[in-house]
Amino acid sequence: MANFKTEDGTTRDDLVQRVALMEEMIAEGRRSTICFGWIFVLWGLIDLAPIGWQLAVPHSDWVDIWSWPIAIACGFAIQILVMAIRRRRSGVVCSSMRGRSISAVWAMMGLTAMLYFAGAMVAHKSGPIAFTAAMLMFVGMAHGTSAMILRWRAQGIVACVWWIGGVALFFLSNRYWLQVFVGEMCFGMIGFGLYAMWLERRNSSAEGQTNA
Amino acid sequence: MPELPDLDPVIHGKLRLAVLSLLVGVEEADFTWLRDKTASTDGNLGAQMMKLEEAGYVSMQKQFAGRKPQTLYRMTPVGRKALAKYVAALKTLLGAAL
Repeated sequence: MANFKTEDGTTRDDLVQRVALMEEMIAEGRRSTICFGWIFVLWGLIDLAPIGWQLAVPHSDWVDIWSWPIAIACGFAIQILVMAIRRRRSGVVCSSMRGRSISAVWAMMGLTAMLYFAGAMVAHKSGPIAFTAAMLMFVGMAHGTSAMILRWRAQGIVACVWWIGGVALFFLSNRYWLQVFVGEMCFGMIGFGLYAMWLERRNSSAEGQTNA
Repeated sequence: MPELPDLDPVIHGKLRLAVLSLLVGVEEADFTWLRDKTASTDGNLGAQMMKLEEAGYVSMQKQFAGRKPQTLYRMTPVGRKALAKYVAALKTLLGAAL
């Protein structure tokens, strides 16, 4: 490999260093915009909360009707609050088109699910199987879209698990819907969220070692 | 022998190149974030950002986040074009060195 020197004294090694610097900074920018694992854990717990509430207070019409809306409202309030605190603490604004695309997918999935469930409840055309299957499909769609944007195989597998759960509900006995729902929430939301948080922590510790 | 391309001196500075590489992947970023990621000082980064701004490679916007003042930077289309040209020149130079 030949070395060279330009008129301003730049050598080949200088150029190689510049390429390495660019690669490192581009990767750094990407890493910093990705911080979402906790949101999956939060919504996994929020979706399990009404089930626990209904089991704790059985045969209560009030709990049956209001446990879900209250849990969802609490979920939004907690998410907005935590995001505001995190932003204020870090004092950082950094957004990317990819990050916004993924946020948009999840936000629109949430809106679609809310309209679906609200319509079904108001029209009294709801049933646990149709409800749960639709929810699993919606979440699977959002995971699948996000996996395609991020080119992230692990999230693609999680999407498949949601879809399989959604389809399986139509073929399983009615008494299994709760097990399927809880299983999906534990694996596809809380488990996946914890995995994403672990990856984020691993990346940030690798970044610390690089900067040290 | 074909003539070797010139490297844009505004982009070639290490800190300026690091900042542009960070900005190319994000929509906008604030001064604090850029300073932390590049491990630079306020004074040095401020001076380099001014050079990039003068060249038209980044645009700056000052705003308040609550009561806190915030300086946001984003890469301009001219900056993106210049960085792409710089990368192409780098490739040519490194290719010529093989």
